[in-house]
Amino acid sequence: MTAEHAVFYSFIVCALGALLTLFLGGNRRVAGWTAFVAAGVSSLLVLYGAGKTLVSGPEDAVSFLALPRYGLDLRLYVDGLSALFLGLIAVIAVLSAFYSIAYMESYPEYGVRRYYPWFLLFVGAMYGIVSITDTMVVFFLFWQIMTFASYALVRFEYKRPENVRAAWKYLIMMQIACVLVMLGAAMLAPAPGGAAGGEAINRFDFDVLSAHLPMLLRDHSAWAAVAFALFLAGFGIKLGMWPFGQIWLPDAHPAAPSPVSALLSGVMIKTGVYGVARCFLWLVPAAGQKDYPSQGWGVLIAVLGTITLFSGTMQALKQEQSKRLLAFHSIGQVGYILLGLGTCLALMSPANPAVMAIGVIGLCGALFHTLNHGLFKSLLFMNAGSMLHATGTQDLNKLGGLMRYMPLTALTALVASFSISGVPLFNGFASKWILYSAAIQGGSTARYLPACALVAILTSALTLASFIKFFGVSFLSRTSARVKERVAQGQPLEVGPLMQAPQLILAACCLFLGVVPGVAVHIIGLAIDHSRQGLGVFLANAPMLGNGPWGGLHDPQGKAVWIPLAIVLVFACLFAFVHGITRLGGATRKAVPPWLCGYALETDANRYGAHNFYGEIKRYFRWIGGSPAPQPTRPQAESAVSTNLPPTAAGRTG
Amino acid sequence: MKPDLINTLGGGLLNVLILLVTAPFFEGVLRKITAMIQSRQGPPLLQPYFDLLKLLGKDDLESGESPGMQRFAACLSLASILAVAWLVPMVGWPPLNGAGDVILLVYLLTLCCVSTLLAGLAAGSTYSLMGISREMMTMITLEPLFVVAILVGAVHTRSLRLDEVLSGSVYAAGHFPWSGWIMLVVLLISFQALVNRVPFDIAEAETEIMEGPLMEYSGPKLALFKYAQMSKLVVYSALFIGLFVPWGSGLPFPANLCVFWLKIFVVVLGVTLVAATHARYRIDQAIRYFAGLLGVAFIALVLAVYGY
Repeated sequence: MTAEHAVFYSFIVCALGALLTLFLGGNRRVAGWTAFVAAGVSSLLVLYGAGKTLVSGPEDAVSFLALPRYGLDLRLYVDGLSALFLGLIAVIAVLSAFYSIAYMESYPEYGVRRYYPWFLLFVGAMYGIVSITDTMVVFFLFWQIMTFASYALVRFEYKRPENVRAAWKYLIMMQIACVLVMLGAAMLAPAPGGAAGGEAINRFDFDVLSAHLPMLLRDHSAWAAVAFALFLAGFGIKLGMWPFGQIWLPDAHPAAPSPVSALLSGVMIKTGVYGVARCFLWLVPAAGQKDYPSQGWGVLIAVLGTITLFSGTMQALKQEQSKRLLAFHSIGQVGYILLGLGTCLALMSPANPAVMAIGVIGLCGALFHTLNHGLFKSLLFMNAGSMLHATGTQDLNKLGGLMRYMPLTALTALVASFSISGVPLFNGFASKWILYSAAIQGGSTARYLPACALVAILTSALTLASFIKFFGVSFLSRTSARVKERVAQGQPLEVGPLMQAPQLILAACCLFLGVVPGVAVHIIGLAIDHSRQGLGVFLANAPMLGNGPWGGLHDPQGKAVWIPLAIVLVFACLFAFVHGITRLGGATRKAVPPWLCGYALETDANRYGAHNFYGEIKRYFRWIGGSPAPQPTRPQAESAVSTNLPPTAAGRTG
Repeated sequence: MKPDLINTLGGGLLNVLILLVTAPFFEGVLRKITAMIQSRQGPPLLQPYFDLLKLLGKDDLESGESPGMQRFAACLSLASILAVAWLVPMVGWPPLNGAGDVILLVYLLTLCCVSTLLAGLAAGSTYSLMGISREMMTMITLEPLFVVAILVGAVHTRSLRLDEVLSGSVYAAGHFPWSGWIMLVVLLISFQALVNRVPFDIAEAETEIMEGPLMEYSGPKLALFKYAQMSKLVVYSALFIGLFVPWGSGLPFPANLCVFWLKIFVVVLGVTLVAATHARYRIDQAIRYFAGLLGVAFIALVLAVYGY
């Protein structure tokens, strides 16, 4: 079985699963397990195909269904790049399906007939998008299945008007994106019956476009540039690039049920990344490299990426709804990926191997960050889902002290928060480290890159700020009235093992890739090595980052190095030592209430909520937009300590 | 490989030891001189050692709802600054040169702040949360300044290696570009904030929010936070000297170390003088101040990229 066959069979499994869950939809549990089995089988097939491609290289493209009369040619081709994205989709899809089983029981008023079939179609269509070679009819079909399935999922809670509105907005944006991409492809396609189009059935096939491109780049460079701009805009809408992302993404992602938010944010927007990478790096053949203005596109994509990461994260900092905050961070993190792709394009110079090597490091960082973002953002959406499941609210102002009641969710949320903020020894740091080292070292060739790196590092601190708020006010801080009320109802708040398992697995992945990033970099190296279409030849031939799977990372010239295992050792010893110090004096531990100056009772009115954080920064960046609409009835006063409380001696003044 | 390993392990342990031994001493110097400036007698030089020992035996009061996190945060605070000590050339070379670079250094310094943030959040008092909100805002605007200094060095040397960047790299091997001087000035006037001292100790601000994040801590945990705070002063001084004051490090063995620690002493003296003679800024004033400096630093980075 070739990788292409595996992917094709997984479509069939997804379609059959969709049919089956439609019939079994009356029973939530049964439908859930059926969907999980279907997603699991299709994932196994896809993982087999992806693994096979990564180990032994791509095979020839396979055409499964050709109807030349309608311009339809279902031709699949799985190379290293496709394999990487297929692997990511497969892992997140199966975990998300598993999480859905228990999670979907929290929607008693909505039937799952409108959930699982769409879920499976959505996953199947995403497998398709990253492995088809056609850019017109088949692309249209898969894109539309993906779009309509996810539209239905975003609209799942259709009784809430804001969700329906978000879904409509999402649908319209995706249709615009579809038109833009197809327009771009149409501009690059050779004229019907021409010499270049003669050999293949379909003149919109990726390989045909690629073969036709050198001529276009040489003779009609402006025409080709417009086509590439259309690709960038089309896929940019999908991946949430500034300014398009802000239009649909923060509304659509929180509206969907949490496992779907995880898929949308962790995986679906990555198909846009795939599209940009595929078009800008693998579409242009090696022969057309001289006429291809890669430096120019590099500037554009790197700068757009920098704007995207800063604006998305700064807007995220203002959010007070858990899932909306995470959605804005998706925009921010995608900015990092774009910055990496831009770095690679800017440093694309086959004539100068040293510069080229830094470019490949940038690409490696972008792909690694794609994987990492898939892992930690899915985890974060599952954490937010668990909180929603336990407390019935997304409002961070109403949460607090959940760590005591949901220790496992809290722990995984801490791992995910540290990962996305780039704390060393977590996977987000590893990929950001690669991106930064490429951008800083690329500064001698493309002089704007260190400035982009500076903004990215600054934004990383903003991300940390945002997640300190997200994690702190929901899991730490003190128990809020809402949580107390839920606890008083008697049921344990912590989610069941069915929802815990995927969170634990994802957290373990985040930690593993953080401590042993060499494994992921090795896989990405294989992926780049096995994607030799177009400019991929130069990328595949350049020296790669790394020191084998277990040896940490260092760049080919040895100017940057990151060996996490050494730091783990140092930290372990230091922790043991420091812990020993605390034991020296034989101090006794006592639990006491916090001290509120001895006169104020602790109430919800004098809690320091999500709304109160970072007031000055939010004020200075009001112009960047994204401020949440003021809520009509806010429980707490503007100032943190309410002075009109009755002065009661309730502290521990003694 | 063997001498490398000895350099790494020996240097790292030596750094940790020196840091633990000298940090309270420098704090004592700081307190004594502050007292002299304010016409007080001041505590004896060794007072900080006694304070730490005393705290280790005091009751450990835990006010938070998640005491596990409080314990973790307290250990993390000292452990992370000691881990940073492995990356700083304090006895002549950065011990962990072979396992991390300046990006790791920047992020480990961030981790030191994260421990304070987690501590404040876990304690859960309103004052703590207000303090960590301030701490985080300061960090957002302050961290980039330090990053630019590192980046300017990295751009001049075209390397991210610790030993190459932390040896006066901002001056680009002796031809003293503008960017280096600009960053020297910028870091000089933001140094107080990097080491959390007056006039930028806004997050702790004893007189307004009663030590902010540390308000609920006592006993051994407070000892760890205090110890980390003292160590931070020495580590940042060493980083500052590594980046901007490399002169004298080429001397033969005992002389170079004497010169190095003398320079640290001078930096501590400077910090003391500023701290004793200034009043604390408000958070919005501080942020505006740092934002202005960030603009200047950005210009320095652009200059550095173009080789000036």
